[in-house]
Amino acid sequence: MSNTSLTSAIPKLLKAVPRSRNFEAVLLFWVSGILAFALAQVQLAVLQKMQWSLLFYWALPTLGALLIHFVLRKRAVSADGLILPLAFLLNSLGIAMIYRLDLAEAARGGTALFADRQVWLSLIAMAIAALVIWLVPNHLVLRRFPYLAGIGALVLLILPALPVIGRTRNGATLWIGIGDFTFQPGEIAKILLAIFFAGYLVSRKDSLSEIGSRVLWMRVPRAKDLGPVLVVWFATVGVLVLQRDLGTSILYFGLFLVMIYTATGRAFYVGVGVTMMLTGALVASRLFDYVSRRFDSWLDPLSQDNYNAAGGSYQLAQALFGMANGDVIGAGLGGGFPQLIPLAESDFILAALGEELGLAGIFAVLAAFLLLIYRGLRIANSHSDDFSKLLTTGLAFVLGLQVFVVAGGVMGLLPLTGLTTPFLAAGGSSLLANWALVALLLVISDSSTRRAA
Amino acid sequence: MSELALFLVRIGFVAVLWIFILSLLSVIRADLYGRRVISKIAKQNAPKLPGGLPGQVASLGLEDTDSFEPTQIAILSGRTAGTSLELEDKTEILIGRSAGCDLVLSDEFSSNTHAKLIKVGEDWVLQDLSSTNGTFLDGRKVTTPATIKAGMTIRIGTTNFELRS
Repeated sequence: MSNTSLTSAIPKLLKAVPRSRNFEAVLLFWVSGILAFALAQVQLAVLQKMQWSLLFYWALPTLGALLIHFVLRKRAVSADGLILPLAFLLNSLGIAMIYRLDLAEAARGGTALFADRQVWLSLIAMAIAALVIWLVPNHLVLRRFPYLAGIGALVLLILPALPVIGRTRNGATLWIGIGDFTFQPGEIAKILLAIFFAGYLVSRKDSLSEIGSRVLWMRVPRAKDLGPVLVVWFATVGVLVLQRDLGTSILYFGLFLVMIYTATGRAFYVGVGVTMMLTGALVASRLFDYVSRRFDSWLDPLSQDNYNAAGGSYQLAQALFGMANGDVIGAGLGGGFPQLIPLAESDFILAALGEELGLAGIFAVLAAFLLLIYRGLRIANSHSDDFSKLLTTGLAFVLGLQVFVVAGGVMGLLPLTGLTTPFLAAGGSSLLANWALVALLLVISDSSTRRAA
Repeated sequence: MSELALFLVRIGFVAVLWIFILSLLSVIRADLYGRRVISKIAKQNAPKLPGGLPGQVASLGLEDTDSFEPTQIAILSGRTAGTSLELEDKTEILIGRSAGCDLVLSDEFSSNTHAKLIKVGEDWVLQDLSSTNGTFLDGRKVTTPATIKAGMTIRIGTTNFELRS
């Protein structure tokens, strides 16, 4: 047999052509077409005619996506080819829906318009993602300062609770503001926390998983190793109390649990963590009025009392009516009444999409999120070093948990929270943080394939 | 626009979304079923053995350990079963999933750089490169470098292979 090193020659041949980049380019043009389709459909359904303004809403996001694509070609040629098109698709659907809500708002003489801002913010967020890819050729530099990232995350979490710059909206203190400019620092904090946890757990995973005394069937770690877990738990409960937002604390604590579970492979942490979280939530629902009101609205959104109460279930009920109106195939973009849901452009954008695209459409949106998260976990699996594995798992999971908590809230499955829908919702901080997260995933995926080569 | 046209546009948009998602799924399919290119070649090159699948090839009793001078690595089972790699005059062979390895495994349970064969004098020594799922020599996990004797089977993930003279 003279079939020498055929098995090793073939992958090298394939690598000569950056297939993932070319495939990505095709997908980006496709998504760009979907965006144009969505915008045209909105204009035809609402205005009964096409307008030149369509070009503005179409060209800027496409420009941003192409910018990232070309930076990838220059700096990270073997990065994953599906992540960018998926993120661009979600961002595009968000822009189309926000534009559609703007047209409805303008028709009834309102001035709360978001689409222009969203388009510019998307472009800025994508430019920053491109910059991250350009400046961070190797994510392993992030490993050098886990504690700096941890402190940074804590500062960002505390900022909104400070006087003067802290802002409260709809009962939750999640924003900081200087003049007209507002920002939600918690969104950036989730990336910093993932970096911190990854750095911390890489050095501690052995003592967390191997040392400890056996109680019943579980191995309980030493108090010394468990300490930081308790600190994080207190910090997230602190966020809950200070910022009055259940979703944010669930997000951070869930991120921590998953990363510690990934690092140690011990179900003990998940069991104890979930028990502590549920206890915390139950106690909070008794102690704090706003939490118990959320719980009431969640358990019975259609009761007259909850519907009429201030901060009650009116919004959720409108969302449920809207999605029911959407049925399986939806009312069509521009064909429903999503403008009747308060905050349809931000917190409830999934409900607005659910009404106009229907069950089939919202499933496509959720499938896009699922694929994005799957690609992230796949990158984690293909990396051989623990830091990259942990960081990528954390980044992918935090995105997944956020979508789950938001979608669950909008559909009445979970209590409502103040989290934003990644890529879809109107708002700069969310776009910025999620595009930065995607940029990191792309950088990490590039280094995994490149090191392998 | 007429009702019908609006209805078609409405359906069309959801359909376009789904076609996009499904086309991505078709890419991901490769994750689950492996690279087709390689498995085809493996089939073409599979040795025609009388009765029995390539995966069931038994090591053909080369018990004479004194004069064991292997010339090739033969893959017995796994996705690339039937292929072989000539040792030629190499003194080090890197085994793993990454394209840079000398012996590339198309195996989900293999690490990027999984193990190494090193020629020490006349012997070939197997060393595990702190792989995730371990390297096994005749069923025993390789923790410290182990010398390979004739007829010993090396297992990485679901791939079995042996050194042959």
